Amino acid sequence: MNPPLRRALGHWRAPVCVLAAAAALLFYVPFLVVVATSWTGGEFVLFPPQGFSLRWYASVLGDPEWAQAFRTSLWTSAVATAVAVVIGTLGALALSRLRSRTGRRLLRTLFIVPIAIPPVAYGAGLYLVNIGSEPLYGTFVLFVLGEAVLGAPYVFVLVANRLEQTDPTLHPAAATLGASWPMILWRVDLPLVLPSVLRGTLFAFVVIFDEVVLSVFLVPVGGRTLPLQMLGASQEAFSPQLTAASTLVSVVAVAALALFGLAARIRKDPP
Amino acid sequence: MTVGLTVDDVRVTLGDNEVLKGVTLHAEPGEFVTLLGASGSGKSTLLNVVAGLQDVDRGAVLFDGVDVTRRAPRHRKVGVVFQSYALFPHLTVAENIAFPLHAARRPRAERAATAQRMLDLVQLAGFADRKPESLSGGQRQRVALARALAADPAVLLLDEPLAALDKQLREQMQVEITRIQRHVGTTTVAVTHDQVEALTMSDRVAIMHDGRLVQCATPEELYRRPADEYVARFLGEANLVEAHGPDGRSPVVTGTAVVRPEDLQLVDADTPAGRWVFEGPVQLVSFQGSRYRLELLAGHAGTILCSLPPHTDVGALSPGVHARVACLDPGLVHVIDHRRPALDHVPEVVA
Repeated sequence: MNPPLRRALGHWRAPVCVLAAAAALLFYVPFLVVVATSWTGGEFVLFPPQGFSLRWYASVLGDPEWAQAFRTSLWTSAVATAVAVVIGTLGALALSRLRSRTGRRLLRTLFIVPIAIPPVAYGAGLYLVNIGSEPLYGTFVLFVLGEAVLGAPYVFVLVANRLEQTDPTLHPAAATLGASWPMILWRVDLPLVLPSVLRGTLFAFVVIFDEVVLSVFLVPVGGRTLPLQMLGASQEAFSPQLTAASTLVSVVAVAALALFGLAARIRKDPP
Repeated sequence: MTVGLTVDDVRVTLGDNEVLKGVTLHAEPGEFVTLLGASGSGKSTLLNVVAGLQDVDRGAVLFDGVDVTRRAPRHRKVGVVFQSYALFPHLTVAENIAFPLHAARRPRAERAATAQRMLDLVQLAGFADRKPESLSGGQRQRVALARALAADPAVLLLDEPLAALDKQLREQMQVEITRIQRHVGTTTVAVTHDQVEALTMSDRVAIMHDGRLVQCATPEELYRRPADEYVARFLGEANLVEAHGPDGRSPVVTGTAVVRPEDLQLVDADTPAGRWVFEGPVQLVSFQGSRYRLELLAGHAGTILCSLPPHTDVGALSPGVHARVACLDPGLVHVIDHRRPALDHVPEVVA
C-alpha cells in the first residue's frame, strides 16, 4: 500500500503536480482545439472559432466523398484487424509453447519489427512488392495485409503477456486429464486469453484505422481511406470539414473504448 | 480402477545433469507410496516420468505389467494434483472436476453426476458453481484432488500437494487425503520434502537422494532399520557410531550403528561399560516441552544426542558435569553393515 501522496512527496509535491498538469494539458489541449475549431460558423480552421454552428458536421456527413472514404476505411480496417488478431494470437500461443530461448527471442523480435521500422520505409518496400505482383496490383490485398502486419504486434504483446501470467502447469494438467492439443487450445488457452484478444483487437483496429502512410503507398488509384481523405483535406482546402471529421472519429473511438471498459467491468463483477 | 505400478531402472538426464540415475520402484495396487527427499533429489522428476510429462533416457514405466513408457500423458489414465493445483481459472468448480470426462467425451448427464459425486467425496457439495478464485487454499486443494480422481485414474500422483497450505490445514489435509485415498483405493505416488507428511500418509516411503532411490520401506522400517547413514540422518535424529565386529571388541570397523536419541537413558556410574554406553562431559541441556535434550561429548563417539522424558531429574546435569547414558535394549540399535555391498534398492518387506 502506498503512503499518502502528500507525505511520500514532501516538498516535491508542488513541482510534481505542476508537471502532471502540464502533461495533461499537452495531451488534451490540441484535441480540444481541434474540437472547438470544428464548430466554427466561418470558412476556415481558426482558434478561437467564429460563432457556433454544426454546418461542417452536416457537410462532412452529407459529402459522398467523405462517406466513401469512411466506408473504405471501415472495411479494410476490419479485415486487416481480423488478420492481425489471428497472426498476433497465433504468435503469442507459439511463444508460450517454445522452449528454446533463442527461438523465443527470435519470435519476439519478429513481432516488434513492424513497430520498429519507419513506416515510410515499410510502405515504400511494400509499394515495390505491390507493383511487382501482377494479379494483386490495383487491389486492396497488399494494403490490407500490410496494415494487418502493423496491427499484429499489439495483439501479440497483450496476448503473450496474459499467457506469461497463467500458471505454467495448466497445460500438463490438461494433458494428464486426457485432453488432446486441440482441446487444450479450445478449452484452456483461448478462453483464458479471450479478454486480451479483445483488448488487442481494439488497439489494432484503432492503429490500423488511423494509419496514413501505407494508405499513401498502397491504396489503389481511385480508392481513398479516411486518413487519406483527411490528409488531402489538410493539404488542399484546410476547411473545418477536416476538424469536424476528426472529431467524429475521436468520438467514435472514445465511445468504443468506454464500451469496452464497461464490458470488462461487468465481466469482473459476479452477478 | 487400480493398478500395480512399476518403475524399472529409469534414467533421466536434463542437460548435463543426470537427474535420475537408475531408479526402480514398485507399488502394489491400492498402495500409497511417498517419494521423500531434499530438493534436487529427483523425486519430482520421477513423478513426471510416471505421469508421462518427462521422457526417459532408459528404463520403463509399467502399469500392471503393461509398458506405458512411450504413451502420451493423456493416454496414461493418471490423475495428477499439482503443487499449484493448476485449476482452470475460467471454469467453475464442477466444470474443472468434469474436465477429464469432457476430454473423454462422456455424456453431459454423466459429467454432472460425477462432478456431484466427487464434490461429496471431498466435502465441497454446494461449491459446484463457484470459480476457483473464490476458494480458499484448502478448498482448491480438494477440488484439484476431486478433478484428478474424477475419471477413475489408474494411478494418482500428488506433487507436493500440501506445500502451499499453512501448518494446521496441512495436518488436517494429510488425514483427509489418506481417508479419500483409502476410500477410492487408487494406487498413489506422492512427492514431498516433509517427513511428517510422508510418515503420516504413506504405506511405504521411498527415500530419494541425488538421483537414486536409497530405500523404500514402511515408515517404521525406515526409522528402525535405515539402509544407510543418509536415511538415518534424514528421518528424525540419529547418533551414528562406528560399530566394531560382531562382539564389539574387534578393532575392524564393520559398520555404523544407529542409536536413536530417545532410546538412550541416564544410567548410574556403576553400570558396567558395555557396547552402547556413552559417557563424557555434558555440553548442553535444554528443555523442549515434551522432552529434554541432552548433548554429551563422548570420546571417540563424538557428540551424543540424548532425548530424555520430561519428568527426568536433570538437576545434577549442567554443562561440564560428567554423565553416562546407555541404550539398555541392544535390539533397538541398528547396525548398517559396511561389509555388505551397497544395494541400489533394498528388497521390499512385504507387510
